[in-house]
Amino acid sequence: MKLFLREHIPLFTIVVIQLIAVILIFWLDGYKHPSVALYALFVGLFIFLCYLVYRFMSHQAFYERLSASFSNLDESNQMYGNAPLAASLGELLKSQYTHYIHRLNEYEEKRDTHATFMNQWVHQMKTPLSVIELTVQQEEDERFVSIREEADKISKGLEMVLYAARLETFEHDFQVEPVSLENIVSQAIRENKRLFIKNHVYPEVSIESDLTVESDEKWLIFILNQLISNAVKYSSGSNEKVSITAFISNGEACLEVRDKGVGIPKSDVKRVFKPFYTGENGRIYRESTGMGLYLVKEVCDRLGHQITMESEVGKGTTVRLTFSAII
Amino acid sequence: MPKIMIVEDDPKLAGLLRSHLEKYGYEVVSVVKFDEIVEFFLEEQPELVLLDVNLPSYDGFYWCRQIRRVSTCPILFISARSGEMDQVMALENGADDYITKPFHYDVVTAKIRSQLRRAYGEYAPKMEERIIELQGLSLYAERMELHFRHAAVSVTKKEAILLEMLLKRFPRVVSREALLEKLWDDQSFVDENTLNVNVTRVRKKLQELGIEDAIETIRGEGYRIVPTWGEGNRS
Repeated sequence: MKLFLREHIPLFTIVVIQLIAVILIFWLDGYKHPSVALYALFVGLFIFLCYLVYRFMSHQAFYERLSASFSNLDESNQMYGNAPLAASLGELLKSQYTHYIHRLNEYEEKRDTHATFMNQWVHQMKTPLSVIELTVQQEEDERFVSIREEADKISKGLEMVLYAARLETFEHDFQVEPVSLENIVSQAIRENKRLFIKNHVYPEVSIESDLTVESDEKWLIFILNQLISNAVKYSSGSNEKVSITAFISNGEACLEVRDKGVGIPKSDVKRVFKPFYTGENGRIYRESTGMGLYLVKEVCDRLGHQITMESEVGKGTTVRLTFSAII
Repeated sequence: MPKIMIVEDDPKLAGLLRSHLEKYGYEVVSVVKFDEIVEFFLEEQPELVLLDVNLPSYDGFYWCRQIRRVSTCPILFISARSGEMDQVMALENGADDYITKPFHYDVVTAKIRSQLRRAYGEYAPKMEERIIELQGLSLYAERMELHFRHAAVSVTKKEAILLEMLLKRFPRVVSREALLEKLWDDQSFVDENTLNVNVTRVRKKLQELGIEDAIETIRGEGYRIVPTWGEGNRS
């Protein structure tokens, strides 16, 4: 409405000037009847008003469209009446929309192809990795032990890539069920056995028995693996233990992974969950992609678990998962 | 002895699995023609099949269904895919269990054993009673007994594992890491102290048999067994 009025101010002015000019010509010619002149003015304005009303009615959708921004892309796909201007706006928006959608589809297709390729590639890499693993598994030689460690790292890296790719399709890829924390923690510890031994760090587990939470097992294992490998990495060689505890506080189940390692500087704690953020420790310890904790945070958000971190330089780090539901 | 058929298109992986399983006393046959898997199966009549999911022609799920039509023998999948979907697919297509790459020999052996036990009862390959012997000292790994000159002591599981590794590796040093890795099982995490305690216990057990100073500590490396009891060491 406002736009409509603003748009018609010049036309209104012109019409008034025109009417007055016509009356003035007659007036100066000697036809001096004020009442008739006023009447003519009034009739002229009335006709003009009728036109405005018609114009407004026929272009209402058009003006509304112009004065409000899109709330989503699909809105551009509608008609704005049969008036030529409105119809052509509709056509214009529709063609723009078509181009956009086309472009989007192209990208989506590209992304899907890429994701599929990544997925396949990662799986293919697992065969050579298995061959390496099996070849060096039975060997005790220093060099083979070292190869085994590296193979472990590659394997972990591949897992991370897989899970990062899966995050995209998270909605189709999780299944919430009762998960026993005890089982899941011991599984995660088993998977990181070599890492613990190699770094002379040992786990210490205390879990209130039969504590069960609502979560997705495979994602939870992924989260724990990341947390454990961080804890071990940053307390390597300290001969301290990494303690994994689960307890109930304020009616919510919590799972804590605590290390007594190097800790994280205050300035970094806030940013550890950001992607590609490696911080001080990342620079010292290399090999950190800055993606682990970011993925963990993303997964937690999606599963509805809270994750918090407390850390003190030189004292260690505690990461706490809080589950909303205990069973 | 049970015959195991390996269907794996990566020749190296197939070879490694083969030599490992043969060590444990299984007879192993590998598929060469991947479009005639069922014919090969019927010809060989194995007791168990190890089946890769990704194969050159069709996939493992398809072949699993084909084999299921002619036999009920245990089928184990080997796959790089760790997704639950794939595991469900595997089991729905008639497989009995699932091993994900990359895997450990121990896992493969354990799963094969349990499947064979389930399918054919308690007959085990001839290697089941493993005796590790070094100059007259023998460890019966399954019975968990240590024999020396007509005397015997029983050992715990952890002690048996320690002894087995030390005896097998003789005359090389066994690193502490390797020992820890072997000792660390699903129920308990073994740390440095536990390892020390167990080594001490093994020394005591050896003393009971009249063997002194047989386990040598090598600082910063690990342990080595020294056959002080052996023929060449009489002084």
